[in-house]
Amino acid sequence: MNMIAGWATANDIIMMEQMPIFGGYSGGVEETAICDVATMLASFALFDCDIHLDGPIHIRWGTTTTRETLQIAAHAAAALDRNTDLLLANQYYTLAGPCTEMCLLEVAAQAITDTASGRELISGSASSKGVVKDRTTGMEARMMGEAAAAAAGMEIQEINRILDNLVSSYRGYYSKPPAGKRFQDCYDIKEIRPTDEYLDIYDKALKALINYGVYV
Amino acid sequence: MVAPRALDIYESFDRFASGKKVREDTWDYVTVPTNALAMKEKYNIDFDNKIIPEDDDLADRLFLAGIEMLACTGFYNTNLGRALSISEEEILEGIKKAPNKIKMGRGNERVACKTRKGNSKRKPIIQGGPTGAPVSEEIFPHMMQSYAQEAAVDTLVSGVLNTVSGRPATTNTPWEIRATLAEIRYVREACSMVGRPGMGI
Repeated sequence: MNMIAGWATANDIIMMEQMPIFGGYSGGVEETAICDVATMLASFALFDCDIHLDGPIHIRWGTTTTRETLQIAAHAAAALDRNTDLLLANQYYTLAGPCTEMCLLEVAAQAITDTASGRELISGSASSKGVVKDRTTGMEARMMGEAAAAAAGMEIQEINRILDNLVSSYRGYYSKPPAGKRFQDCYDIKEIRPTDEYLDIYDKALKALINYGVYV
Repeated sequence: MVAPRALDIYESFDRFASGKKVREDTWDYVTVPTNALAMKEKYNIDFDNKIIPEDDDLADRLFLAGIEMLACTGFYNTNLGRALSISEEEILEGIKKAPNKIKMGRGNERVACKTRKGNSKRKPIIQGGPTGAPVSEEIFPHMMQSYAQEAAVDTLVSGVLNTVSGRPATTNTPWEIRATLAEIRYVREACSMVGRPGMGI
């Protein structure tokens, strides 16, 4: 709170981060979403926040891209979006690592969810759950941006149908997700250029999304 | 009754300091789950297996449930072991002072983050970066450059330097400060390397 006092007095932009845990003290998806809404409101009403950074996370898998955590994020965002003008953001923690199709599809699923539920900013991605050294790259952010742009303006019923299929495509791999590669192994470090292998995988992910009805 | 004014960080602190003493395990195991379940039942919150709500009334009820959850439960400060109280009127007054638009970055890279409504055709701001994931010192600027060079990316979020000058960036040591300042330098360098020196970070 001391640091917030300094930032607030200096009129800095304050982004407040809070990640509700699904499967923890709160209970099921609905109870966790209620706590998420309450905590987002508290961020603005108690802590002088300008933009809130959410990140509902699954207690078993440690990711934000599961069906349950997407549900919590989407419902909480929609509740605030319909009733306030608050600025809402969300952050990304995938189970799979970079240079895998699963990682890119996880990112796409969340970007579609966040965009369609009215969020203003999306932030990511911490691939490999954000805990393994050097396992994030700019290609995942490219996917985040492209999937968001494609989803913006689509009908919610259509988005839900797409998400049902998209999330089902990777949920079977939760217990053995592909680890992928380190940044130094999927980019040419001198040129900062993704390898042909990663570009091929990215193409495959784009084709999969088009098949699901997301025209990236 | 209307709220006299919105709370600020100073009044929030005072309310925590004079708030009700609560044991942390009581808060976690009893207060939060009991009140969340009560709100779920009172407002009939059921997601019906939909990822995004298609029922506007459900979204509105969830908003009301969240307000009442905060007002009837308060907010817990683990350092003080006390819970603050805030009224529904103060919550509503508090969110009025929040901006509906902020600007990030400068020059050609300045972007405006503005309220979207529903699934607007205007996409969200894309903030690219490792989002706090650990990154080796040797590749840190290169990795950040991989985000900055993406046309889809509007602003950057940093990773966490695993070491600085070969030393672990341990919390609550001077090395943590050196690492934080080094991260900022590396991120700025990455922006400059791709000709986007004004990107918001």
